[in-house]
Amino acid sequence: MKNIDYAKLFSDYGTLFVLLLLCIGFSWKTLDEQSPTSADTAQRLAKRISDELSSGSNVIVLTRQGGDGESFAAALKENLTKAELNVVQTVVGQPADARKALVKYGATGNKLAGITADKHMANFCNANLAKLAETHPSLAKAKVYQPQTYRWPNFLKKDNLLNIMKQISVVAIIAIGMTMIIITAGIDLSVGSLIAFSGVITALAIRGLGGDDPTLGHLWLGSLAGILVCGLVGLFTGGLVTLFGIPAFIATLGIMFSARGLAFIFADSEPIVVQNEIFGWLGRGRDFLGLPNSVILMLILFAIAHVLMTRTSIGRYIYAVGGNPEAARLSGVPVKWVLVFVYTLTGLLAGLGGVMEASLHVTGDPKAGNLVELQVIAAVVVGGTSLAGGQGKILGTLIGAFIIGVIRNGMNLTGVEAHMQSVVYGVVILIAVLIDRLKSQGFRLRKR
Amino acid sequence: MKRIVQYLGLTALTLALTGCSPSSDKPAADGSSDTSGDTSAPAKTKGIIAYTPLTLSNPFFKIIGDHITAEAAKNGYDTLMVDPDMDVKKQSDQFDDFISSGVTAIILVPCDRLSIGPAVKLANAKGIPVFTVDAKCAAEGAEIAGHVGTDNFQGGELAGQAMVKALGENGGKVLILDFKKAHSCVLRVAGFKKVIDAHNAGQTTGKIEIVAELNGNGARTEGYQSTADALQAHDDLDAVFAINDPSALGAYTAIEEAKKQDQIKIIGFDGQLDGKQGIKDGKIFADPIQHPDKMGQQIVQNIMKYLAGEEFQRDTLIPATLYDKAMADQDPELK
Repeated sequence: MKNIDYAKLFSDYGTLFVLLLLCIGFSWKTLDEQSPTSADTAQRLAKRISDELSSGSNVIVLTRQGGDGESFAAALKENLTKAELNVVQTVVGQPADARKALVKYGATGNKLAGITADKHMANFCNANLAKLAETHPSLAKAKVYQPQTYRWPNFLKKDNLLNIMKQISVVAIIAIGMTMIIITAGIDLSVGSLIAFSGVITALAIRGLGGDDPTLGHLWLGSLAGILVCGLVGLFTGGLVTLFGIPAFIATLGIMFSARGLAFIFADSEPIVVQNEIFGWLGRGRDFLGLPNSVILMLILFAIAHVLMTRTSIGRYIYAVGGNPEAARLSGVPVKWVLVFVYTLTGLLAGLGGVMEASLHVTGDPKAGNLVELQVIAAVVVGGTSLAGGQGKILGTLIGAFIIGVIRNGMNLTGVEAHMQSVVYGVVILIAVLIDRLKSQGFRLRKR
Repeated sequence: MKRIVQYLGLTALTLALTGCSPSSDKPAADGSSDTSGDTSAPAKTKGIIAYTPLTLSNPFFKIIGDHITAEAAKNGYDTLMVDPDMDVKKQSDQFDDFISSGVTAIILVPCDRLSIGPAVKLANAKGIPVFTVDAKCAAEGAEIAGHVGTDNFQGGELAGQAMVKALGENGGKVLILDFKKAHSCVLRVAGFKKVIDAHNAGQTTGKIEIVAELNGNGARTEGYQSTADALQAHDDLDAVFAINDPSALGAYTAIEEAKKQDQIKIIGFDGQLDGKQGIKDGKIFADPIQHPDKMGQQIVQNIMKYLAGEEFQRDTLIPATLYDKAMADQDPELK
């Protein structure tokens, strides 16, 4: 039997393993009754009703407005009519509408045999029908039918998984640049402020170009302006770090405060609404295979960054600068240009993140991105990139971002108290760094 | 040794990550947990009411939340309380999570009255009713099923009446510490001025004169700074009206520094614990107080009516009441 190197296995796939465990844990925790509303369900439900009620009986269909409510009601009506039941009324609306409809039908005095409802309306009927029947006796015999429920974790619902990816997209995209910076043994604290800065510049540019009625072209130009301005800020940071040798921590701390302040000044402290809903396309649209556009953008950027870091010379240069800048310089790596490159790239990505964030809310908000820099750094570190530089993987960062997103989402789904969430975040980051230390020591405790 | 450390790390990690969820085993967690005590339904809650306030670090919103939880439990509903920490992005993400959880209704205190719009619209599209408490959502096209708030204008009038009482027949010079960014605070000042104007109209002497309106930012620091500045400009100041307790207490620090605490009366607003304590200690003359407990109960009662399809007041305002030293002396909450 082959002797497997567990330590290596763990350090290579440890984070993925943790992500998997988290998913299993939260799936188990969020197991819940699900009430389907597909056309299939409607057919089965109609069958069940026609088996129980004699043909020609009067039936009312009630569903809640929104979601699949309308299509479910239509499918129910079609199938019930086919089964020779008499659908006297179909209501797609709020509880108040259902009450009105039942009272109105009750007033006619015709006998009602059944009510077909989705989960929400069935809850309404179960709670209120008996009371209504006191004043409208014709409703008394009505039986409430609702779809058969099944158990499935809320966490594993397709919409929830897509939500997680959508929610981490901004942090993950900026984390691409942050990974590169941290691999060069630097840090960038300004990205959170740049999100706000970019969003405000974008919204202002769109307003400046298009006034109250901006066109698609104005939206593009405005977004480009936001991204490029942040790229320039990144270039400036790179200059401070390389030309003047200011430590990255201090340089970006300064940028962090200034950019946040400028965002508030430019925006006059008020969020700027973009007067064209199409601007929400990037942040909220779902155009390809039902995937959110922001998620597709995130995946594409990660693929590009992965290739960049593993297959190109610039990728090797970045690792070399982080490993040993002096050795890198002596072997002909343009250290300064590499540093300027990573800070500019991160600026551009933070600008893009700002546009995505603004797009999500269709608003340029100077308060946006508050403390996001710490989430970004957390994603990078949890993903296995060493703060000492020289080591790290882009895909590790993606997994790190997923871990952070999954924990946040899972804790919200299970209702973990807010301050506890903060404790958990802290512990996760500490453990990630701990593993990083242990890894560098070959999983042995340090000897004095 | 090597393996031991490695497994230790692994176990600690997974424990820390999944171990956090047991705290969610309390009934407020998910619909699937077995909660007994519900009389009608067999060990099953009727649904979840989600609550996302501005921030839970402010006790005001915590009290609202606690009373939402209690009132919801009375009606057989679980509560899911989360904290967006004043970040509208986080609040939007929480809406996504609520929708995934299939909550029955959402109670919202918007972190931003405009930017939260898309999230509310998303809930609207899924048919989940959204209610606001304390602050309103002003986004276009976002449908709000109902609102419960404090009658801030009436509260401002109470503050004005307290000011008239505090200054007596002689009248005097008043500084207002406002916070124009919050609509609720603008209303408070408007109500205050209405009473002061009415008082002045019938008077030839003993008028109450508003000498300055400065930004207190609703916080101690700015309340202190603005008051200190105002004291430089008006050394004969007689009273301060601050739109909330933190800025009122900030004003007190500045007044104490100038050794004028015996001449200058302060009226605050809100009735937070440290504000009430300030009233008992004689730092603040009186506060119109809000009733977060009633707000929490009322919003859940409105939701129950909504779910039963019954009529209810879409916009319910809870009147503020005046809280003074006599009441503070009786208050068992205070030291």
